[in-house]
Amino acid sequence: MFVVGRLMFGQTKPAKGVNMQELGFHTRSYSKLLRKFILVSVTCSVLPLLLVGWISYLYYSQFSRSRMVDYFHRNVEYNRRIVESFLEERAADLKLVAFTHSLDFLMDSSNLRETFHILNREGSYFSDLGVIGEAGKHVAYIGSYDLMDKDYSVTFWFKEVMAKGVYISDMFEGYRMTPHFIIAVLCSKGDTNWILRATIDTEFLSSLVETARIGKTGEVFLVNREGVYQTSPRFKGKVMDKMPLPMDSFTGESGILITDPIRSMGSVVPEIGTLISDLFKYGVMESRSQQIVAYSWLKQPEWMLVVKQDFSEVFEDINHVNMAILVLLHISILAILIVSVFTARYMIKAIKKRDQEAEGLNRQLMQTSKLASIGELAAGVAHEINNPLAVILTESQVMRDITEDEQSLDGNFKEELVQSLSQVDAQVQRCSHITQNLLRFSRRMSASSQFVDLNVSLKDVVGLLEKRANTCGVQISLDFQEKLPEISTDPFEMEQVFLNLINNAIDAHESRPYGSIHITTRFDSTRNGLVATVADTGSGIPDEDLERVFDPFYTTKPVGKGTGLGLSISYSIVKHMGGEISVRSEVGKGTEFTLFFPCMNTEQTDSSENSRKDKLDKKA
Amino acid sequence: MRKPRLLIVDDEIPFTSNLLKLLSRKGYEVSAVNDGYSALRIIEEQEFDVVILDQKMPGIDGVTTLKELKKKRPHMEVIMLTGHGSIESGIQGLQLGAFNYVMKPITFPELLEQIVHAYERKVIEEERS
Repeated sequence: MFVVGRLMFGQTKPAKGVNMQELGFHTRSYSKLLRKFILVSVTCSVLPLLLVGWISYLYYSQFSRSRMVDYFHRNVEYNRRIVESFLEERAADLKLVAFTHSLDFLMDSSNLRETFHILNREGSYFSDLGVIGEAGKHVAYIGSYDLMDKDYSVTFWFKEVMAKGVYISDMFEGYRMTPHFIIAVLCSKGDTNWILRATIDTEFLSSLVETARIGKTGEVFLVNREGVYQTSPRFKGKVMDKMPLPMDSFTGESGILITDPIRSMGSVVPEIGTLISDLFKYGVMESRSQQIVAYSWLKQPEWMLVVKQDFSEVFEDINHVNMAILVLLHISILAILIVSVFTARYMIKAIKKRDQEAEGLNRQLMQTSKLASIGELAAGVAHEINNPLAVILTESQVMRDITEDEQSLDGNFKEELVQSLSQVDAQVQRCSHITQNLLRFSRRMSASSQFVDLNVSLKDVVGLLEKRANTCGVQISLDFQEKLPEISTDPFEMEQVFLNLINNAIDAHESRPYGSIHITTRFDSTRNGLVATVADTGSGIPDEDLERVFDPFYTTKPVGKGTGLGLSISYSIVKHMGGEISVRSEVGKGTEFTLFFPCMNTEQTDSSENSRKDKLDKKA
Repeated sequence: MRKPRLLIVDDEIPFTSNLLKLLSRKGYEVSAVNDGYSALRIIEEQEFDVVILDQKMPGIDGVTTLKELKKKRPHMEVIMLTGHGSIESGIQGLQLGAFNYVMKPITFPELLEQIVHAYERKVIEEERS
């Protein structure tokens, strides 16, 4: 009892279009998800990293900056004290000479020369030494200039020393017309006042000041209250030039300035009334970079020691560390990006796999629920048909009985009538088979369960169909693995499955003069079950039909030849046995059905039902 | 052995009338009713050896009717007949003491065979008791 279903090869292709759209949607969806994963992952990792990096950078920069500023401050203070001490010592030297020697003694040129040498014994501090009388005239002089008898009574320093007793001048040119500065000491003995005056060696002072210089861009110089250089700066300008920096920046006794020439381009230096941008333009200022300027005021004279250095050099080490941090940060971000991409890809792959599995399960579920709902319908239809069929059978029997009993009827007529009634019975039986199949499909009822040899079962089926296959020009070849374990199932159902498949395979060669069907069996040890394949060289099944081949009533056979239940019943039986059935096909090349029958599970799942059926059979 | 007395319970009137004709021709004493209630009433009045009982009927169904029939006539054999049989109702019927459970459409000779077997069993059971 079997029904052979056949596929509809002439279908249009809406399903394929839908699948392509779904595929496109899924691909877009996964790409979007991948981008989201990477974005979230990178954001979550990079943001804290940047935050920590930024805080570390700020803290370290602040700390280093304050340490550097402190160092600059201490440096300028230290050197200011050195310069101050030097000048104080030189003033003290002159005072000592003035107060320990008489005017007459010092007016003697040899004595004055001797004294000059004694003063310069420790170092060439003084470049000349002279004695100036109360009237302001040079009365004695040792030095390289011809300054004897020069009158200083009108000079600023003469007035200052006469008023203060000791005076250290700013840089001035004087009679010698070259920048220098002097230390003058007033000596009063009785009614006589005279001044001992010495010129400090400018080079010596410059070299003393230069000791405070730091680095390649460092610069140290002295300026007076008016912002005039008292020593030559290292780069631009010379002694007695006006310093371009505004003096009102230097408030208090000492301090630190951070200059930013680029930002101050538009501002004017009040002391010289020039734009800072112009100072750069005319080369007065050279460094356009940010600079750190430490300054400290000397008490006497009112000079300011300025120590400058480019910001970039001061913070070179810090910048180096910051650069290293920055490089590390970039490497970390790159690493995070790579790891995130790999992780996200891995996750998407896992999700995709899970989705595919879920989709497969969903399809199975849909197929099962479709079969279940159609099963219910089939059962109802079978019931409604079986009752009239039963009536027809009994009617036929009544007519047969009447015919047999009626003696008056012609013998030939009787014979024809009985033949017709037999035909009625045969057609009723045919309908009955269909309804039985429908019911079997809906109930998946198996009459009995026993151990079945798959190879034997298949050979029986092939034996039944071989004649038909040969008539259609189809050769059936078998490739069976020997000694397969037996499986517990209903042998008739097993035969029905293969009858349907092989019948379909023969039908698939209808438009071809010849072809072949290859049937194989083997034991799958990994899944502990039997695998059977039925492959034909028929017309094949289009992609859009493959999804529907197991649907009930889906057929391409001519009306009256197939019910469309064959493959759905096969599917139902195999699933009921705990097995699997799948199909792959290529149009024009053929179709292959692969069936899997579990060896143990079938026995276990069916045991309870089979025991009930056995009971039923025994009672029957 | 005398011919068994039969009762046909089926809501399909053409079917019951045909069976009546056929079985009567074979010499059986046959009665027919079209629902469960009528069946329960008629067995109060008459004795039957074998009942051919449809599963799906208006009013009370075949299984309930079988239950009641067996309460009243425990030795009466019942053949369950249905166009919509299920394993569950078949098992239920057998558990309730039905002789067999057969599917429609059944050929007349097959039905006769079932009737004969059922009656034989009834005779054996009666002899035992």
